[in-house]
Amino acid sequence: MTKRFEFSLQDALFIGLCATLLVALKGMLRLKLGISGHTMLLMSFMYLTCYGVVGRLGSITLCGTLAGLVAMALGVGKGGPMILLKFALPALAMDVALLLVMAWPLKWRFCVLVVSAAIAWAGKVWLTNMLAGMAIEVALIKFAISVAQGTGFGLLGAALAFALAKRLQAHDLLKMNIKE
Amino acid sequence: MWARRKISVVESQPGQWCGTAIILVTVMSACAFLLSDSALPLLALANLPMLIQGSRLGSLKGILVVFALQLLMTSLFYLLLYGWQSLPQAALVVFRLLLALIPGWWLSARFAPEQLGSSLARVLPSKWAFVLAATLSLLPHIQREAMEIYRLQCLRGAPITKRALRNPKNWLELGPCLLFPLLIELMKLSRQQALAAKSRHFGTHPKPTHWQAPEDL
Repeated sequence: MTKRFEFSLQDALFIGLCATLLVALKGMLRLKLGISGHTMLLMSFMYLTCYGVVGRLGSITLCGTLAGLVAMALGVGKGGPMILLKFALPALAMDVALLLVMAWPLKWRFCVLVVSAAIAWAGKVWLTNMLAGMAIEVALIKFAISVAQGTGFGLLGAALAFALAKRLQAHDLLKMNIKE
Repeated sequence: MWARRKISVVESQPGQWCGTAIILVTVMSACAFLLSDSALPLLALANLPMLIQGSRLGSLKGILVVFALQLLMTSLFYLLLYGWQSLPQAALVVFRLLLALIPGWWLSARFAPEQLGSSLARVLPSKWAFVLAATLSLLPHIQREAMEIYRLQCLRGAPITKRALRNPKNWLELGPCLLFPLLIELMKLSRQQALAAKSRHFGTHPKPTHWQAPEDL
């Protein structure tokens, strides 16, 4: 691990706690909402909060990977090792997108991150469907529905995260600057 | 409560099997996608013992619901796009997805979550293994904290009581009233934990030692 990606213990613990809270909330909400995609609400809220508080590239990927590990350790979901990908892929997509939009105002940065996460989230489903030999049209329709659902729920989560970021900055708890 | 497992009937086995099982499960899931159609019955046969043992340890209901929903959605799309004759193809696709799902489901039914966690922690760097262990053990504390904040906010008159939450208009109140204070609490907690670990010289020694539960010694 290079020096650049070395996180302080406090940041690392915060990332871990965010990941644990994400998995715990997901475990509790799982059956109450029948619609797929509500995971994106929690996921985008937690990942963006994590990024807002830690304020570093790579924090989202770490949060996603830890969330996957915690989900395996708590026995949430039936995916086994697949659940690691489910949490880590959107997080990785967010960090990659972050490289491109680093200088944008926070609101638009959050929006771009959510869309990229939704595409990655739906892309994993698309990939597994394609690998299973599903016809391309069917897989594409499912992909489009997933992206739309994921983006919708994700934007809701991002709005919450943005409200939280503003409040945290008012209390001087945020490391990054919010450009309006 | 989120680990919705029935109590395991099989005696818990040493953790080294768990790592092997994780690799086996990953390979079997990958096989479900990569093998040709003619090899699928063989894979299904290999999945059968897992299915039998898994159904004795946990409930089959979850996997059946997923399977039924997938089958319904996929065959609906195939029916609309390609007509009746394509339905066997739809069934084959869903069968492959099911075969990919069974090993992971067996893994979570067969091994206790903490066994999975400890075998994963072996491959992580020691700092992140510590973070994982610390946050997992803090989970009950976070839950208590959340309940406390919830009760206090209810006393304050926030519209998040069970009755008020029947109205979807009040759902958004959960964010500022419950989630935000909880996250600020987490920030405080991470600062305290980091301080506590640092004052015990965490991270200064190149070869960290691990605390072992008395029964492991």
